Amino acid sequence: MRRFSLLTLLKEATNAHQGWGRQWRAPEPKVGYDAVIVGGGGHGLATAYYLAKEHGMRNIAVLEKGWIGGGNTGRNTTIIRSNYLYDESAAIYEHALKLWEGLSQELNYNVMYSARGVMMLAHNVHDVQSFKRHVYANRLNGVDNEWLTPEEAKEFCPPLNISKRLRYPVMGAALQRRGGTARHDAVAWGYARGADAMGVDIIQNCEVTGIRRGLSGAVEGVETTRGFIRTPRIGVVAAGHTSVIMEKAGVRMPLESFPLQALVSEPVKPVFPCVVMSNAVHAYISQSDKGELVIGAGTDQYVSYSQQGGIHIATHTLDAICELFPQFTRMRMLRNWGGIVDVTPDRSPIIGKTPVQGLFVNCGWGTGGFKATPGSGHVFAHTIAKGEPHPIAAPFTMDRFRTGRLIDEAAAAAVAH
Amino acid sequence: MLKTSHAAHRDLSLPIEQPVTRPDTKAQVVIRPLPAQARFSLRLNEADLEGAQTAAGVTLDIPINTRSGSAERSSIRLGPNEWLLTGPYDDAEVIASQIDAALSGRFYTLVDVSHRNVGITVSGRRAAEVLNSGCPLDLAEAAFPTGMATRTLMGKAEIVLMRLDDTPTYQVECWRSFSTYVRDYLIEAAREFEPSIA
Amino acid sequence: MLLVTCPYCGPRPEIEFRCGGEAHIARPAEPSKLSDKEWAEFLFVRTNAKGVFAERWNHAHGCQRWFNALRDTASDRFIQTYKVGEKRPDRTPGQERL
Ligand SMILES: Cc1cc2nc3c(=O)[nH]c(=O)nc-3n(C[C@H](O)[C@H](O)[C@H](O)COP(=O)(O)OP(=O)(O)OC[C@H]3O[C@@H](n4cnc5c(N)ncnc54)[C@H](O)[C@@H]3O)c2cc1C
Ligand SMILES: [Zn+2]
Repeated sequence: MRRFSLLTLLKEATNAHQGWGRQWRAPEPKVGYDAVIVGGGGHGLATAYYLAKEHGMRNIAVLEKGWIGGGNTGRNTTIIRSNYLYDESAAIYEHALKLWEGLSQELNYNVMYSARGVMMLAHNVHDVQSFKRHVYANRLNGVDNEWLTPEEAKEFCPPLNISKRLRYPVMGAALQRRGGTARHDAVAWGYARGADAMGVDIIQNCEVTGIRRGLSGAVEGVETTRGFIRTPRIGVVAAGHTSVIMEKAGVRMPLESFPLQALVSEPVKPVFPCVVMSNAVHAYISQSDKGELVIGAGTDQYVSYSQQGGIHIATHTLDAICELFPQFTRMRMLRNWGGIVDVTPDRSPIIGKTPVQGLFVNCGWGTGGFKATPGSGHVFAHTIAKGEPHPIAAPFTMDRFRTGRLIDEAAAAAVAH
Repeated sequence: MLKTSHAAHRDLSLPIEQPVTRPDTKAQVVIRPLPAQARFSLRLNEADLEGAQTAAGVTLDIPINTRSGSAERSSIRLGPNEWLLTGPYDDAEVIASQIDAALSGRFYTLVDVSHRNVGITVSGRRAAEVLNSGCPLDLAEAAFPTGMATRTLMGKAEIVLMRLDDTPTYQVECWRSFSTYVRDYLIEAAREFEPSIA
Repeated sequence: MLLVTCPYCGPRPEIEFRCGGEAHIARPAEPSKLSDKEWAEFLFVRTNAKGVFAERWNHAHGCQRWFNALRDTASDRFIQTYKVGEKRPDRTPGQERL
C-alpha cells in the first residue's frame, strides 16, 4: 500500500497526478477462505479490516453484490453521535466515536470526520424532559452531551429560527459537541484499501445467492453468482437485505426493511455550521464540504426493497426545514434517493452468533448505523474471530427477543439517525 | 362562527388575518363557513340495512362515498357501516328520534356530533384546484362528480369532502379544533385566484 | 406516493392509509402455553419478504376499514387487495413480474 503523505502529494503534483494507482485489487474469488463477509458496506469492510489487523485473519474475503459502499453506506446523511440513552447503546456508539476520532490516521486515508457538533432540537415538554434525561444518563456514561436554551442553540447555529410563533417552537436543544459528520464513501474506501493491503480479497459484483450447510448443520460455504466459495465462517453484514440472506440458511429474523430517504440541495457557500436534528418535526440537516445542504427524511410505512420512497415523505421534511430555517425556502433540491434500512423491534442492532454454527450476523442498524461503522466492525471482527461476542457486543444478541432483555432505544427517544 | 372558544389557536398568522369579505358573485373561488347544522354519526352493520333503507327522511342504502338528500337533510355514507347524517340545527332531536324509530330492534349507535364539526363551502370554477392544494384526491369530473362524498385529508387535517352541485360547490367538514387551520389553508391556496371569502 | 386500492373505496392515495405490517399472523389462542421462543416468534419475527408479501392496511382517512394486500416489495406494485377474513390469494412469485 502506498502511504499518502504531503511528500507523495507533492511528488504526484509534479507528475500531473498520473502516478496514483488503484487503491485495492480486483481479485478473482479463491476456492475457499477462512472467513467470508457478505456485504461490502462500511460495516462489512471494517469487519474485514479488523479481522486482518487485530486477529491476524488475512485469508478472508468480502463479497459485495454491487460496488463497495453502494448500499446505505453511500446513501446516508452521515450523522455521527454517541449520546444514546441506555448503557449498552452508549457503550457501543461511544466505542465507535472514539475510533472515528483517530480513523483518518489509523487508515492513512482522510475520512473527513468533522466534529462540528450535533444539536437535537426539543419542541415540546416531552422532548425537553426526554433530552434532559439523555444528558444526565450520558454524563454518567462519560459521554458528552449538554443542554442548551433556545438562545444558546441559536448562538451555536445562527440560521435557526427560534421564534415562539412557530408551529413547533424550539424549546431547547441537546448538543453533543464531539458529534459531527464524515465522508461516507471515504469510510468504505479507506477500510477497503487498508484491508486489501493486508491481503483481504474484496470481490465486487459477487452476489451471495445461497448458504450451504453440512450434515451437522454448520455452514460449509456460500453460493454466489461467481461460483461456490468454501468457508467455515460467514459474517452477514447486508443491512436491508439481511432477512433475504439469512433465510437461505433457514434463519428467520426479527427485522423489517423500509426505504429511508435523503436529499441534497444545490451547493451554496458555507451557511450551516453544525448538524441539526429534529425528531419531532422529522428533519435532519447539515452542510457538506461541497456546499450542498444534506437533508434526511423519514422512512416509508411499508416494507420495501425498492430503494426509492414516497415523495410525500421528502416534502414533509422540507416543510419542517423551511419552518426552522426560513432562509432556505427558495433553495432548489438537486437529488433525492433512498436506501433500504433494516429495523429491529427495539431499534437496536443485532451483533453476534446465530443458531447456525459458523454463521454470524451484524444487522438491524436501521436508520442510524453509519455512526457505528468503526465500532461495529471492530466488535464484530472479535466475535467472528473468537466465536464469542466482544463484551460491548454481548448485549446485542438475537436472543434478547426471546429473553426480553430489549435495548429499547425506540421507546427511549424515537431515535433516528 | 369559526372563532369559538373551541377553535384551535394558531399563533403564526397567515398573510390574511381577517376574513376578506368581498361579496363577489363572479369570483373564481368563494369560501364561506356554513351556519350551524345538526350532525350525527351513525354506525350500523351492513346486514342490518335490510328493511331500513331509509331513515329520518334520507336514504341509507347508497353506495359508499356518496351522498343523498338535499341541503335540508342528507346522508353521507363514509364506509360500509358508517354514515354522517345532517339536517337543520333545530331538528336535531327530531332526527334522532326518527332514526331511533326507523332502526328500532337493530344494533346501532347514533352520536350527536353537531358541535364537533364545522362546515365550509368552497365553490366556483377554481374550487377543485384550491382543494387539491391540500387534498390528494382526484377531483376531476369523472372521478368526483356531484353526489360524491368521502372522508379524506386537507393538509394535515382529516376532513369529509362532498361535492354538492355542478357549480361546482364542495363542502368541507372538519373537526372544530382543526377549522381555523383548514380555513386558513384554503384561503392561502385560493389567494392566486382572488377569492371571495366570508 | 403509492395508489392503494381499498376494497371498499377503490384506488386512493397512500397518505390516507396506515400500513399495519405483515398479514395473517394469528395471535396464539393460549399464549401461556407457548415457549419463550414461540412467543418471540409471534411478537418479533417477520417474513420481511423481497417479492410477494401479504400485509395489512387501514384506510385511516377514508372508510377506516382494515384490509389485506398482496404487494411485490421489490417493485412496490400492488398485486391485489382483499377483505379481512378472506384467504390469501394464491399467487406464486414470478407470476407478477409481467
Ligand atoms: C437515507 C439514509 C440516511 C441515513 N442517515 C444516517 C445518519 O445520518 N447517521 C447514521 O449513523 N446512519 C444513517 N443511516 C444508516 C446507515 O446508512 C446504515 O446503518 C449503515 O450505513 C449500514 O452500513 P452497512 O455496511 O451495514 O450497510 P450497507 O452499506 O447497506 O452495506 C450492505 C451491503 O450488502 C450488500 N449486499 C446485500 N445483499 C447481498 C448479497 N446477497 N450478496 C452480496 N452483497 C450483498 C449490499 O449491496 C450493500 O453494499 C442512513 C441510512 C439511509 C438510507
Ligand atoms: Zn376505504
